[in-house]
Amino acid sequence: MSYTEKSIDEIRASLDKGEVTSEELFEEAREKALKYQSDYNAFVTILDKKEEEKNKKTILSGIPYALKDNISTKGILTTASSNILKDYVPVYDATVYRKLKEAGAVLVGKNVLDELAMGGIGTTGHTGVVRNPWDKNRLIGGSSAGSAAAVALGIVPFAIGSDTGDSVRKPASFGGIVGFKPTYGRISRYGLFAFASSLDHIAILTRNVKDAAYVTNIVKGQDEYDMTSLPDDGKEYAKVLDNSVKGKKLFYIKEVCNLENYKNNNDLELIETLQKFHQTLDKVRELGIEVDEVSIDRKLLSALYPAYMTISCAEATSNNANLIGIHFGLRGEGKTVDEMMFDARTKGFSELIKRRFVLGSFILQKENQERLFLNAGRIRRMIVDKINELFKTYDGFIMPTSGGIAPKFDEEIDRLSERYLILEYHLVIGNFGGFPSITIPNGFVNEMPIGINITGRVMEDDIVLSIAHQIESKLGFKNQIAKGAK
Amino acid sequence: MYKVVIGLEVHCELKTNSKNFSGAKNIYSEIPNSHVSVVDLGFPGTLPVVNKEAVKKALKVALALNCEIPDEVIFDRKNYFYPDLPKGYQITQAKKPMGRNGYLMINVNDIDKKIGIRQLHLEEDTASLDHYGTYSLIDYNRSGVPLIEIVTEPCMNSAAEALAFLESLRSIFLYCDVSEAKSDKGQMRCDVNISLMKEDAKEFGTKVELKNINSFTNVKDAIEYEIKRQSEILDQGGKILQETRRFDDQDMKTYSMRSKVDAIDYKYYVEPNIPPVKISKEYLEEIKKEIPPLQYERINTYMNEYGLSRYDATVLVREKAIAEYFEATIREGADPKLASNWITAIILGHLNKFELSINDIFITPKMLTNLIKMVNDKTISIKQGKEVLYKALDEKKDPTVIVKESGMKQIIDVDAIKNWVMEVLDEMPEAITQYKNGKTNIIDYLVGQVMKKSRGQANPAMTMSMLKEEIEKR
Amino acid sequence: MITKEMLKDYANKLMFDMKEEEYETLQKEFDVILRQMDLIGEFEGIKDVEPMTFPYVIYHAKFREDVVKDEISTEEALMNAKDVKDNQVRVPKVVE
Repeated sequence: MSYTEKSIDEIRASLDKGEVTSEELFEEAREKALKYQSDYNAFVTILDKKEEEKNKKTILSGIPYALKDNISTKGILTTASSNILKDYVPVYDATVYRKLKEAGAVLVGKNVLDELAMGGIGTTGHTGVVRNPWDKNRLIGGSSAGSAAAVALGIVPFAIGSDTGDSVRKPASFGGIVGFKPTYGRISRYGLFAFASSLDHIAILTRNVKDAAYVTNIVKGQDEYDMTSLPDDGKEYAKVLDNSVKGKKLFYIKEVCNLENYKNNNDLELIETLQKFHQTLDKVRELGIEVDEVSIDRKLLSALYPAYMTISCAEATSNNANLIGIHFGLRGEGKTVDEMMFDARTKGFSELIKRRFVLGSFILQKENQERLFLNAGRIRRMIVDKINELFKTYDGFIMPTSGGIAPKFDEEIDRLSERYLILEYHLVIGNFGGFPSITIPNGFVNEMPIGINITGRVMEDDIVLSIAHQIESKLGFKNQIAKGAK
Repeated sequence: MYKVVIGLEVHCELKTNSKNFSGAKNIYSEIPNSHVSVVDLGFPGTLPVVNKEAVKKALKVALALNCEIPDEVIFDRKNYFYPDLPKGYQITQAKKPMGRNGYLMINVNDIDKKIGIRQLHLEEDTASLDHYGTYSLIDYNRSGVPLIEIVTEPCMNSAAEALAFLESLRSIFLYCDVSEAKSDKGQMRCDVNISLMKEDAKEFGTKVELKNINSFTNVKDAIEYEIKRQSEILDQGGKILQETRRFDDQDMKTYSMRSKVDAIDYKYYVEPNIPPVKISKEYLEEIKKEIPPLQYERINTYMNEYGLSRYDATVLVREKAIAEYFEATIREGADPKLASNWITAIILGHLNKFELSINDIFITPKMLTNLIKMVNDKTISIKQGKEVLYKALDEKKDPTVIVKESGMKQIIDVDAIKNWVMEVLDEMPEAITQYKNGKTNIIDYLVGQVMKKSRGQANPAMTMSMLKEEIEKR
Repeated sequence: MITKEMLKDYANKLMFDMKEEEYETLQKEFDVILRQMDLIGEFEGIKDVEPMTFPYVIYHAKFREDVVKDEISTEEALMNAKDVKDNQVRVPKVVE
């Protein structure tokens, strides 16, 4: 009997009835984590012992979960999947971890990510590649790769990740699960190792929308340690999921989703993904939700990727300048302090990270800031303004999460192709504007999961969740466990 | 001869309970790494949260320096690698400092000068490094301590002006109660930009930056050394290198640290973890109300309204508490000159001798005023007044009580004094002759004799005039 | 034109080095991203737009009261340091 594959409601009921104990749940999760580790590599750390629950009365008490390994856990190794932090044991708890602990949720382990959360395919962690539980030859996507794999494999019913560009929503869609990034500031970032502070969000991976609502409810709220955190909206998300969505209006972006754009494209997966998307829109309309096609300047959309790269690399260079191996982290060798720092950073970072740092520092150089960093900030505003203008009419927008299924590890990816420039990067709109944004499963293409994404107005996390919940019910793709789980 | 152009960058640690961006205690401690938080150490995932009091104190100084204040508070990151900088960047203000375009008045050799303040910004201090034989040790206690930096226009032309500026600035910190501003504790530190130009030149000469100057005396010495060094180079037709130099207080010379070519690009950009917070007009008004009258203003009042010398006025305003004590005495109705004399000569001497602050002494402004009034209405003599004041300070006793107890009352009864005068002159006819022959200073001796007879209680001035009058008659 | 030497200089200023071939990859990446950013620079009206730093206007941010809290012990502060002497972090002598 597997409990960790069930929904939170079901596990809660079994715990309350005494059919299973939190100790047994922890053991089951831990055993599965260990069992799948060699095939999928979802974890950096799997805990040996269950912590005593502080609270037995919340929806999450006794329920096992996993944290991305860039979330600070006192006394538990936290590496950000980077060599430079391979021995780092934090002395403080991230707010999200503290809240889960206080709610009695049970930590099982820490998930592999792309090194320092930079990188979108789940292959750059210092402990190796994370594989897709639906097909070992494919990637799961990143950077919250291990978190998505752990949830898709049924090791835990939920995991906490982070989302800077699409780092939770993309792997969720490749893993056939739910990924929810609430409004910027809804969940405190205190204790989340910063990648790009103005884009970073704590985000949640689950197998159904209601579970995402439960978890968000526990971890949201204003935090005295994060000046950008939002005052609590006082809403119980899980209770408003069935609020009527009739009359709500969504749009999708013509330049991304209209099949006419891809007449001469022979990427069959892409075409099928889009067809499935449009079929889903018909079902969405059956819920009484209006869905319109809206056109946005293609040039603006093409700017998403370079603007994202520019802002995120620049912020990342500065955010990771604390990794010098002096009072924590990999200690370098050298006769002088400079040599020591130089050695630690040369050995501690992988190539991709270094390339991004160089790019980021170039962008911030005095003579380049105007042309690069500030122009990227201007484009960011233009995009966000455009979306907010549309939000005067619409409650949100709905899009295919990705232009296809998870790629194989050896697939050549042309990042400047049509698919990559827009279809694979529109999710950053959610980070640019801090909009609540959720990905839910939308069936399968070639037996691999695909997803759809709904993004709404800032602060309206409840509306986004209820629309997603009702679409999920209509589609029936929920509580999916990957084929790789046995 | 060259014209010297000096600009200063002054850092001052603010006095707050906690650090600028964390709750760790802001205190100097001999025990290393005893007051730190995860934020001060820049551990991954930590975020800065701005200290309200640090902002307030920075704004207070900005207002005291007549600066333009921005509509909101934002911070920037200054990125560079150094072992004393745990985050790899310093949180500071570049885009919108707390203050811009202000000024501070100084006075050198009785000439007033307005020193332009380019900007004032709030930032955080670094950790401290102690150097040993082959290694250095890092103590993070200082990391994150709130610091303000004040940058002047290049408008000072001598070491004396620079020093006067630093002293005036320090008084503002003390008057506004934002810092102890002790340079020996590193609470106030100064970098100097200095260039030389021909008297008739239109453009500034090449700027040299002097760093790590840890006392006001060193500022003066460093500037004087630099003037000499640069003058010699220019005299010989040489060129000044644009560079950063450090002052060595052992041999009193400056040494090159790095040239302009190696100048660091700090890649300033807005700190994304601190959203802008608006500064309301009401809040600024509230802060303004807390700023007391400052040195420059007080000196002018003392000179113009109370007729004090610049020297005395300057001594009185050196410390706010003393200035306030003086003013309280005036408010009680004391004669300003006498109050000034006694405070500067007697009370300050007493404070220095016993290392006391003016708030520690027993004599209140009211008591001092009463004593001064007794002198003014000739109840006692000035000499007696001084003696009483010394005694009152030593014995912590009300001067009025001392006067009463010692029966010390000046005799101003004309008949009584006249009797003593007659007696003395009768006893010493030869003194009269000497006086008439031109040895007029014998009069002092005669006054002394009268004082003797009166047991020191005769009014000296009256005695003097009556003696003269009587001698003329004889 | 961004040369490999320039990239090496930038990397070194960030306190690390890369392999020869990594600089080549980086050079190509620079090419692409700079070309894209140049296109962004040509956007109509872009110069009139205020660069965005925060995702939305955050009205609720507040300063912290000046209260002492959240200090960690010296032991915790130094727990992750590899070289500690006299309760301080030791590094090779820093010369200015």
